[in-house]
Amino acid sequence: MSLSYSIPEMLACLLAADLRDGEELQVGVALPIPEAAVRLAHLMHGPNMELIFLGARMNVHHLEQIPMPAFGWDCRVVRWAESFSDRGHRFDQVKDWGRRVFFVGGIQVDPYGNTNLIGVGDQYTRLKFRGPGAVGTPSLTTHVGRYYIVLNSHTPRTFVPRCDFISSVGWGDGGPEGRSRLGLPGGGPKYCLTPLCVMDFTETEKRLRLVSLHPGVTLEQVRAQTGFELVVPPWIPITSPPCAEALRILRTRVDLAGALRT
Amino acid sequence: MTAAPINHTPRFIVDVVPAQCEPRYGIKVPIGKSGEAMSVAIRTERLIEETAAVARVESGMTLAIGEPAPAALIRQIIRRGIRDLTVVGSGLALDLLIAGGCVRKTISYYAGGGVRVAVAPMFRRAAERGEINVWECDEGILTSGLEAAGKGLPFMPWRGGVGTSLPEINPDLKLFQDPIRGETLLAVPAIKVDVALLHASLADVYGNVQHRGGPGWIDLFLQRAATYCIVQVEKIVPNEQIRADPWATTIGRADAVVRLPWGAHPWYSRGWYIQDTPWLSQYVSAATAAADRDEPAALQSLLTEYCRQPQSHAEYLARIGLPRLLALHEY
Repeated sequence: MSLSYSIPEMLACLLAADLRDGEELQVGVALPIPEAAVRLAHLMHGPNMELIFLGARMNVHHLEQIPMPAFGWDCRVVRWAESFSDRGHRFDQVKDWGRRVFFVGGIQVDPYGNTNLIGVGDQYTRLKFRGPGAVGTPSLTTHVGRYYIVLNSHTPRTFVPRCDFISSVGWGDGGPEGRSRLGLPGGGPKYCLTPLCVMDFTETEKRLRLVSLHPGVTLEQVRAQTGFELVVPPWIPITSPPCAEALRILRTRVDLAGALRT
Repeated sequence: MTAAPINHTPRFIVDVVPAQCEPRYGIKVPIGKSGEAMSVAIRTERLIEETAAVARVESGMTLAIGEPAPAALIRQIIRRGIRDLTVVGSGLALDLLIAGGCVRKTISYYAGGGVRVAVAPMFRRAAERGEINVWECDEGILTSGLEAAGKGLPFMPWRGGVGTSLPEINPDLKLFQDPIRGETLLAVPAIKVDVALLHASLADVYGNVQHRGGPGWIDLFLQRAATYCIVQVEKIVPNEQIRADPWATTIGRADAVVRLPWGAHPWYSRGWYIQDTPWLSQYVSAATAAADRDEPAALQSLLTEYCRQPQSHAEYLARIGLPRLLALHEY
């Protein structure tokens, strides 16, 4: 029997499989795929994971369901938290954030994984589109052990040769020293997930490289939708489909309202 | 549709201490021969009414709003027509103040509305049209600036933001070489706050505040950076309850506390009630129509009905109605 699933569901399962037990997983708001992925990983293989939402630190592996927030800034997502991560002193222990994993979205992404949440326009004082602001992403991406870039669109407007503004440093100007040159201790972005494909970064240049194409997506399509030249390996697999068990847990214990299906 | 003002809880004042009682808590109570208190030096209470609280806020000030939002006081600010504020705040509470015409500049790390509201509508419109100035930062930069203010320092060093566009688009943030290890860091200038408005669970009349379920993440930074800190609370409790667990006190000396049960509505109050999603959705639709389609009628009628017309918080709650409030009464 073949499974039917949505692309966001597939990405949530893929992302969950990349998260290891014992890690601290911090997700901001309005990123449904990571929201689902950390819950799924926690339930499936992460009894010692800690989820960090809205400043609260939670291990809720024992719960039957860990529902997703549906609207706004829902304080119910931190029900059953064991502590607040900061007690009014957030960022006072960034020296230990090497074990923390984070996720960022973006209005724009450049070839080195630098991202922009500030806005789009030639001039900062005359933005064509004003974004929500950097949230905590510059400080988080500076310090966390690794992070993932997760976008809900893949177009030449999002994948640009140069971001109009950079709010989070990926690999800076590129190269394995792209971050250490700037003195940034964190490990940088690992993967970039979009509705069309999965990408990672080349070892030498730290440029975005295609890893896999989602079912039904062609290389030409991805190239046409990317505003710069993507590194393309000789052999491109199709993104792995979710396994039945992960999909069942995702639908019955995490994404109860079907946020990833609409 | 008027409702009676909320009466404050009875106060426990030392003049009821019986003669045989030891003067407690360091409060000296001279007892006369007849067993009555003679002249009593009474500790100053910090409990004030909502109107007195908002009277501390003047146009042009730097105002900080905590998380969850001190919504009742925010509505009073809109009702009083306070303008040209520099607001340290985020989310839809910031958006509401912009919609109310109160804001000149924002010090905001995030002006989205959470799930399903990528960018707060009125913030976006005002920023794109140049009607507000945005002091671009992020959470780590903002807390560094607040910490510098609290510590009386000109700046705090911070690493988050190095390598980004933030120092270019916010010239107040300066890159510098640190004198110890020679690293490139960001100098974040002190962010001084004239008045901080916060929402918490409990306080006694002396300004000892306890957040049940933890303070909002930024509240304590705001309190430390502020010249004057007003905390609206769900409940005023006896001083003895505070003393039973001093470690639970999150703010030891708020300048003023205001009793405003349900005061964070339409937002949440941890341990008391959840956000009013229908109200917030209605706001987002109305604000989106005003911001994107130049149709301000729905937004203006929301502002009139819920912010400008109610003379008191109790009157606002009467408009929301008990059935709706009780439906949110869970955690």
